[in-house]
Amino acid sequence: MEFIFDYYFDFSLMGDQFDRVLDGFWLTLKLSIVSGVLALVWGLILAVLRQLPGRPLAPIRWLTIAYIDIFRGIPLLLVLFLVSGFLSAAQADGSIPRDIGLPTWFGEASTFWYGVIALTITYGAYMAEVYRAGIEAVPEGQMEAARSLGMSHGQSMRQVIVPQAVRKVIPPLLNDFIALMKDTSLVGVLGAVEVVKTGQDVQSEFFNGSALVLGALMFLVVTIPLARVVDVLISRQQSRISRGGGGVAEPAPAGAAGTGQTGGPL
Amino acid sequence: MAEEMLKLKGMHKRFGALEVLRGVDLDVGRGQVVCVIGPSGSGKSTLLRCINLLEPPDAGTIWLEGKVICGEEAVEDVDFVRQRVGMVFQQFNLFPHKNAVQNVSMAQRTVLNRGEGEARTKAAALLNRVGLADKLEEYPERLSGGQQQRVAIARALAMDPTVMLFDEVTSALDPELVKEVLDVMRELADEGMTMVVVTHEMGFAKEVGDQVVFMDEGMIVEQGNPKDVLDDPKQERTKRFLGLVLEH
Repeated sequence: MEFIFDYYFDFSLMGDQFDRVLDGFWLTLKLSIVSGVLALVWGLILAVLRQLPGRPLAPIRWLTIAYIDIFRGIPLLLVLFLVSGFLSAAQADGSIPRDIGLPTWFGEASTFWYGVIALTITYGAYMAEVYRAGIEAVPEGQMEAARSLGMSHGQSMRQVIVPQAVRKVIPPLLNDFIALMKDTSLVGVLGAVEVVKTGQDVQSEFFNGSALVLGALMFLVVTIPLARVVDVLISRQQSRISRGGGGVAEPAPAGAAGTGQTGGPL
Repeated sequence: MAEEMLKLKGMHKRFGALEVLRGVDLDVGRGQVVCVIGPSGSGKSTLLRCINLLEPPDAGTIWLEGKVICGEEAVEDVDFVRQRVGMVFQQFNLFPHKNAVQNVSMAQRTVLNRGEGEARTKAAALLNRVGLADKLEEYPERLSGGQQQRVAIARALAMDPTVMLFDEVTSALDPELVKEVLDVMRELADEGMTMVVVTHEMGFAKEVGDQVVFMDEGMIVEQGNPKDVLDDPKQERTKRFLGLVLEH
């Protein structure tokens, strides 16, 4: 019993290794924030590409859908290996510049940037689906109103649809960010000394898991408040809806034939 | 008849198996108010949506200011149409993330490239004209349905349209809010705006309309002077519809 407690909660070891674990967590945070911001942007780009109108742009829609399906459907770890392996091999081969194959931008190691690229590729696909749900939740009348005023599809998306869609999906995007943050631990497999890798190193040096528990606590310090923020945002949105707020009236049942029908090239 | 503003000939539109418009012809002179009445599903709304090309017609020709705007012979594109034709919807469709002035300014800036000051001045003037001078900074959720609809009218007018389309704009309103919207439309008609108004407000049609068109099953059944059509309909279907509408 005592062994169990000491294995997970050796406070003196935690104290000795605190700075080292914190350094690892700092890398975890940087990975999360850089990848998170890039994935937010990339996901929105994908979502907008997926909504492009008209027949001539259909190939772009298909490619986007294929991309999203593929990267939501394969493990992040696999993407990580594909990205890091390709980039390092391609620069060794000379087909891409060394600065790109072995990036050390802003003083971060190549493994950091491989992680950022893989996380952005994968989480961009997840977030694109979240944005899509938001875009589709904006009533059709919004696009019609914007188009009837002479705004182009692009102008309408940028000024009318996307701002409303993003507001609706901030909670699920934050959930994705929490998941992304946890998945940064996979980058440790490449040798990036993020918090889980640090905890594991300590574990193998001292035959003790306390540094991992310490790392877990550091995660929770960030993820639990974020989860509460998500709850608050959701309950706020729900009270808005129940007050009938938002200014968006529910579409009436199709009175005249044709209302509620899609098919026009808006 | 006055100079021709809008002319439709042989308009057809189908959604899958459902044929919504089955050959509609209509002439609207400059400054005329045409009220379109008819039962649900008769194709009234689709007709309006075809006029500003929200729904491209399957067959038929539309002339706007004498120029063909749809089909293979079109000499003007969607931009030409949308800048000249304003539309007001049953559900208002105000932009909920923008306040009243911003709702009226947005398209002025993006489509007409007006500067912020100019767009705002115009927006304020139009909101004043529809009786909302004290609501410039309010967001749609804080406005009543009637106020929202008046903002929507101002938003369409801000583009300096030559034709205004109204799609059952009072149908979603509480009864006590209908009048304030109809009053604005009546003023607009008095000032000489060309209007096509899909409506269930028979009083408005009789008083303001220059022409009433009764549609059923995708066709125009009867049209003419409002008093003739509404008080003394010739067609059986018109009589039946008006009987049901005016009964209560």
